[in-house]
Amino acid sequence: MTAACRSSRQTEATIDLTLSGWQSNPAESRLLEKVILQFEKKYPNINVKHEVINSQYMDVIRTRLIGDVAPDVFYLEAFEAPTLMKYGVLEPLNSYITPEYNLKDFEPSLLNAFKQNNQIYGIPKDFSTLALFYNQTAFNQAKIRRPPQTWDELIQVSKKLTIDHNKDRKIDQFGIGIAPELARQSFMVKAFGGALTQNNQAAFATPESLKGLQLVVNQYREGTAAQPSDVGANSNSEAFGQGRIAMAIEGAWAIPYLKETFPNLKFAIAEMPTINNRKGTMAYTVGYVMNRNSKHKQAAWKLIEYLTNEAGMKTWADQGFALPSRRSVLIDLGYDSNPLYAPLVAGSKYATIWQAGEILPTILTNFDNQFISALLGQQSLSLAMKKAQDTANREIYLSN
Amino acid sequence: MLTQNFWSKQSTREGLSGYAFMLPTIVVLGIFLILPIIYTIILAFHRVQVLGEVSYRFNGLKNFVRMADDDRIWIALQNTAEYVAIVVPIQTILALGLALILNTNIKGKSWFRVAFFLPTVTSSAVLTLIFMWIYNTNGLLNHFLSLFGFSAYNWLGDPDVALKGIMIMNIWATAPLFMVIYLAALQDIPESLYEAAAIDGATPWEKFWCITLPFLKPVTFFVIVMGIIGTFQLFDQSYIFSGGSGGPNNATLTIVLLIYQYAFKNLQMGYALALTLVLALIIMSVTLIQRIFFKEESLD
Amino acid sequence: MVRSTRLLTWVLYLGLALYTLITFIPFTWALSASFKSLAEISSGATNFIPQNFTLDNYNQIFTQEPLFGRWLLNSVVVAVIVTVFNLLFNSMAGYALARINFPGRQWWFFLVLAVLVIPGQITLLPKFLILKSFGWLNSYQGLIVPTVVNATFIFMMRQFFLNFPKELEEAAKLDGLNRFETFFQVVLPLAKPALAAQTIFIFMGSWNEFLLPLVVMSNPEMFTLPLGLNAFRGQYVTFWNLIMAASMVFTLPALAIYAFFNRYFIQGVTFTGGK
Repeated sequence: MTAACRSSRQTEATIDLTLSGWQSNPAESRLLEKVILQFEKKYPNINVKHEVINSQYMDVIRTRLIGDVAPDVFYLEAFEAPTLMKYGVLEPLNSYITPEYNLKDFEPSLLNAFKQNNQIYGIPKDFSTLALFYNQTAFNQAKIRRPPQTWDELIQVSKKLTIDHNKDRKIDQFGIGIAPELARQSFMVKAFGGALTQNNQAAFATPESLKGLQLVVNQYREGTAAQPSDVGANSNSEAFGQGRIAMAIEGAWAIPYLKETFPNLKFAIAEMPTINNRKGTMAYTVGYVMNRNSKHKQAAWKLIEYLTNEAGMKTWADQGFALPSRRSVLIDLGYDSNPLYAPLVAGSKYATIWQAGEILPTILTNFDNQFISALLGQQSLSLAMKKAQDTANREIYLSN
Repeated sequence: MLTQNFWSKQSTREGLSGYAFMLPTIVVLGIFLILPIIYTIILAFHRVQVLGEVSYRFNGLKNFVRMADDDRIWIALQNTAEYVAIVVPIQTILALGLALILNTNIKGKSWFRVAFFLPTVTSSAVLTLIFMWIYNTNGLLNHFLSLFGFSAYNWLGDPDVALKGIMIMNIWATAPLFMVIYLAALQDIPESLYEAAAIDGATPWEKFWCITLPFLKPVTFFVIVMGIIGTFQLFDQSYIFSGGSGGPNNATLTIVLLIYQYAFKNLQMGYALALTLVLALIIMSVTLIQRIFFKEESLD
Repeated sequence: MVRSTRLLTWVLYLGLALYTLITFIPFTWALSASFKSLAEISSGATNFIPQNFTLDNYNQIFTQEPLFGRWLLNSVVVAVIVTVFNLLFNSMAGYALARINFPGRQWWFFLVLAVLVIPGQITLLPKFLILKSFGWLNSYQGLIVPTVVNATFIFMMRQFFLNFPKELEEAAKLDGLNRFETFFQVVLPLAKPALAAQTIFIFMGSWNEFLLPLVVMSNPEMFTLPLGLNAFRGQYVTFWNLIMAASMVFTLPALAIYAFFNRYFIQGVTFTGGK
């Protein structure tokens, strides 16, 4: 009798799912755990193991995909998506998506980052654009009334904000922080009509691209902008929090960090200044993807669905580390009317997603290597970019 | 007739038992050493895809042509060369010095021997973390230096210093190992040689120069080659130190780290294997050059 | 003369004491941190003796990182099995190469010598591919089997057995023992110093190995301690008290092995003998 009871119970065997991601903050992880618990309550036969991988996340994921021991569901940055989509290790999700899921609610540009040949390989969980963070105290002291609206204004304002308080010829506050990385500069490439890639080749050394990048180099050479390491900080947000730079171009992730680490800092956020009369910024997004070799694809989809449907997204997107990718949730949580987040939300209308096909990692390494030397004045920008582009293209050719 | 039969049976048995003793070695070395080497040589001329569907495609010399333009290889080689040039001589001399001291009749020498060996026993992962903590901007090193009026310095973030930090750690960790090898060799020197020299009225210095040093030549060869090979293989420290990137600004990039990056970050297994092949050739030629050099020395 | 000798002795002692200090400071600093609270560490004080001695860190690493115990277990399992097999296989091969007259012996010896020159890192990627095709990635055997034999120690054991008294084997033969019995009952028990030296080197090597586990074990549950420690650091970047406590837990077993086998150690290392 008991045996019969037991066997009838076991008809629905427990399914173990692994969900891997990174955490930018323990609070974020705890929140996700909470949502997962709710999920397990709703589907008692599914057991979710939440795994946090904080160092070399993509190395670990790639190694595990190669070794056939990858998690069922995992985070994936849009920037890395083309490679994994191309190698066919991700499960296309089209057939799982039901009308009730309301896919149309997602910001289309975010969804596109995980699409290839009309197949959807990932569901964007959140995103952030870049916007201009400015120190209100510094602005008040310099008698600057409003944040710069154009890049020319930004350069002028930076000059006023670059200050040596104690006159020891060591500048105590720079106008703006610069991150000499393609990940943060590719909107400058596009500002005057340039492009990162063309026909699956690096193409960022055109006069149009150089025009945008030259603005950054010039400003740095003039000494009104600084890299984080110039002021002894690890990141621009840290330098900004410490008051070593008066402006920084950052994303939503910096807001909780600044509030928590520098509670006395008075700062505000504005949309990116226009360059060449055009609005432009970048958007970074992370999606949930499913391993093509997962043994429990239905269950894995249920998990993705639960985490990204309106209710699930709402529960865990109100911490402000990033913006929810569903428009309805974005509005429901009031991000578009929150003065700190509104400029970031506004940016999503004209942002370009940080992604450029599977050759982006190659382009990025070469760009970063050469751009820094141009920034430091070791070679001209045009020469540096030409070199970077040629090396990248050669590598792309030879690795095929 | 009978004896011959007996002997051949005996030698067959010897042969069989010989191979029985060798079997595990032959199998394991065959599958995990000889086969890999053949793999490396063949696949270095291929484009290898390991993610998703595994596939191999012959692409001739492309992988090798690409190396000529790969700046990061030159940076890694330069880092390694700098590393060899500084670490190998210092650690060899330090090891020899410590061994010579501990080979005297000094009291408590076995205690010192055990104590010195401590860093060698400790994992490179642990050592790297301990040193990173000491080098840290708020770490012990800066506190120590502040006693002498130096201001705090970011040792970990400065590309000019990062590699030297690893060097110091490695000298400190490896010298005791070689010290033990020297000690073992010193004990092999026949006491009679020294006695004979003492009768001839040799000074301690002459004894060291004319007996000890020549006797230590083969060990020194061993120690130097091991040291060089060890530095060419440097990986753990750089990986942990830089979080796998080889930074700051490629300062801690080593060849093995570069190979790892190409294989698992860029998924260019074929290119990584070609690099591996080149590394193997470099290491083997260093060993050979050393050997020739030492042979000529000993002929003099 | 006596005076200068005494002076020299003092100088030597001073040098030794200084080097002992250099050896111990990093360890004691780490050890002391593992007993301090994070607040005390962050305060930037340079006291080696903790103001408020606490075992919390050790407690925390096992509770906060539930996998820590598993990593410890993985490391022990791998290192012990690898050591046992190495002792057996290397000694067998070394003995055969030194004492058994079998066809092709010179050739195999040459091969072992050649393998000595080939660094392990070079075979890493193909090893990875081979293990992948065996389906051994993320398994104990994937980490153990490729390392159960070591050319360096085969060579060392051969040198050791070359100097081994022949009379004992001849006596064993007269007693009617075959090669295997002779080896296991007579030869091996007398090879203790060499085996002790091997135990130390192999156990440490396996215990501390980083690169092979890094590519073979990608599932956190299969991590060995070095990988776990690195991952642990990724998660608790600023919690130096916890990182140091974890480091100390990790160092202890290797230290114990070393302390235990040390007395055989120096006499056991014979790389260059082979007269």
